[in-house]
Amino acid sequence: MKRLLGVALGVLTAIGGFVDIGDLVTNAVVGSRFGLSLVWVVGVGVLGICLFANMSGRVAAASGRATFEVIRERLGPRAGLANLSASFLINLMTVTAEIGGVALALQLASSVHYLLWIPVAALAVWLVVWRVKFSIMENVTGLLGLTLIVFAVALFLLKPDWGNLAGQALAPAVPAEETAPTYWYYAIALFGAAMTPYEVFFFSSGAVEEGWSIKDLVQSRINVLVGFPLGGLLSVAIAGCAAVVLLPAGIAVTSLSQVILPVAEGAGKVGLAFVLVGLVAATFGAALETTLSSGYTLAQFFGWSWGKFRRPAQAARFHLAMIICLFIGLAVLVTGVDPVLVTEYSVVFSAIALPLTYLPILIVANDPQYMGQHVNGRPVNVLAMVYLVIILAASLAAIPLMIVTGAGS
Amino acid sequence: MLRRTALTGPATHLPGRKRRRPHVWAACLTMASVLAGCSGTGSTISTAVEDSSSAIATARLALHLESSGKLTRAATSTALDDSLKELETSRKTVLELSPATEMERQAVQEALGVLDHCAASLTDARDAAASNDGGPTLPDGERELAAAADRLSALGTKDGGK
Repeated sequence: MKRLLGVALGVLTAIGGFVDIGDLVTNAVVGSRFGLSLVWVVGVGVLGICLFANMSGRVAAASGRATFEVIRERLGPRAGLANLSASFLINLMTVTAEIGGVALALQLASSVHYLLWIPVAALAVWLVVWRVKFSIMENVTGLLGLTLIVFAVALFLLKPDWGNLAGQALAPAVPAEETAPTYWYYAIALFGAAMTPYEVFFFSSGAVEEGWSIKDLVQSRINVLVGFPLGGLLSVAIAGCAAVVLLPAGIAVTSLSQVILPVAEGAGKVGLAFVLVGLVAATFGAALETTLSSGYTLAQFFGWSWGKFRRPAQAARFHLAMIICLFIGLAVLVTGVDPVLVTEYSVVFSAIALPLTYLPILIVANDPQYMGQHVNGRPVNVLAMVYLVIILAASLAAIPLMIVTGAGS
Repeated sequence: MLRRTALTGPATHLPGRKRRRPHVWAACLTMASVLAGCSGTGSTISTAVEDSSSAIATARLALHLESSGKLTRAATSTALDDSLKELETSRKTVLELSPATEMERQAVQEALGVLDHCAASLTDARDAAASNDGGPTLPDGERELAAAADRLSALGTKDGGK
């Protein structure tokens, strides 16, 4: 019974923790401009993140070490540095975007300007990272993030033309007002949002934090294979709400305040309350995860003592690295740069850096020295190779498309 | 060690590589000029009108939801602030244009006139949402925004027809 509850909690937190500011903004932007014609990308992205997160969790459970640590040892410092640079810079952008997201969500709830919330959000992130136990932190934010299910509820309450929505999703086409390069630019942005590298590093480091072993592999697999696809459905619901309310009104999403309007339209003030709690929880949870991921990647590369399971004094450089990352994010945000813009760029740059993140994971997951009998099977490798081709294509096309489309404008 | 020498040593001194650099820079500059040339006065105004229409539509939806009791004042006021910011950004891009012909100058002036009217309407709508003393009401704000949307739509049609 206790094990069953553990599995259920894991799945629920995986659903609630799946959506972050990147998913919120990108899905709403795409829904408001392309309807559900890009929903297939969410499917491709979710399958990809399931594949690599599962691989990464298996590496952690089989070797007892986080993926990044193993990559550094297996591929050497040079390849490890390429992996670190790409992942860390994207992660830093994501930390910035998430803290900005928390501040924007708090502004929606309070009408106090988001710039005043930014130091509060950063301080709260630091306090939680410093003081709160890993499992409590993960479960509380994940469960509160579940309130974002209100997007799916609102979509039903809006009574859309389901046939029309299904038509958009099943026969994807570039809308008349948009161009093919813009369509593909946003396809890459959605793919980057679904496959953000920090999710994989956080997942594997979290496995070490929670002391996973081989016997926990089944639970890890269920968390990923059930929780992430259901989280993906939440993303589709966000796009669906935007497609039903904002697209017909001629509203192209550029701010978080527009994302919540369909929920208010469908579910009124009660729905609004749920969505605001969900926004704060999802962005705050992701801010914690990205801040920790920054510390994890640096500490694991340089061989520092790391982990929340250790007292801060025993992992001083790990904690200091996270504080510096929070300060950098804070410094960027107080210049007045639009957090939504940072988010939009972070998901595209995520897509650009994906090969440097996922190829090393695939190599390590095939090394019997670390994995023993738990190396990837042939079907997993075939699928992973297909994904590497997709990831490489997305990575190479991202910058030319960004230039040609003026970053999707 | 051998690999490092091969990668960093002789390669930078290859004559062919040195000769190619100016061409690469020239190609980049040409591409940048072509891209810069693509965004002319007409397309900038069109984009500004589209973005402003989206901002006004957002404000109208937010005000309508507040009138129906579905949106809180804090969320409405944030949505209106964001719309005004979006409109100001569009106005700034039009202000920064350097029209070369009389027709372009007229188009810029006309667009600025409409965008100014939209900004005034949005400010009125914000006042209506914040009003506690029975001053401008939410329907007043909605009427102002509807008029702004009409003017933007007319400008968009005219701009599209050119």
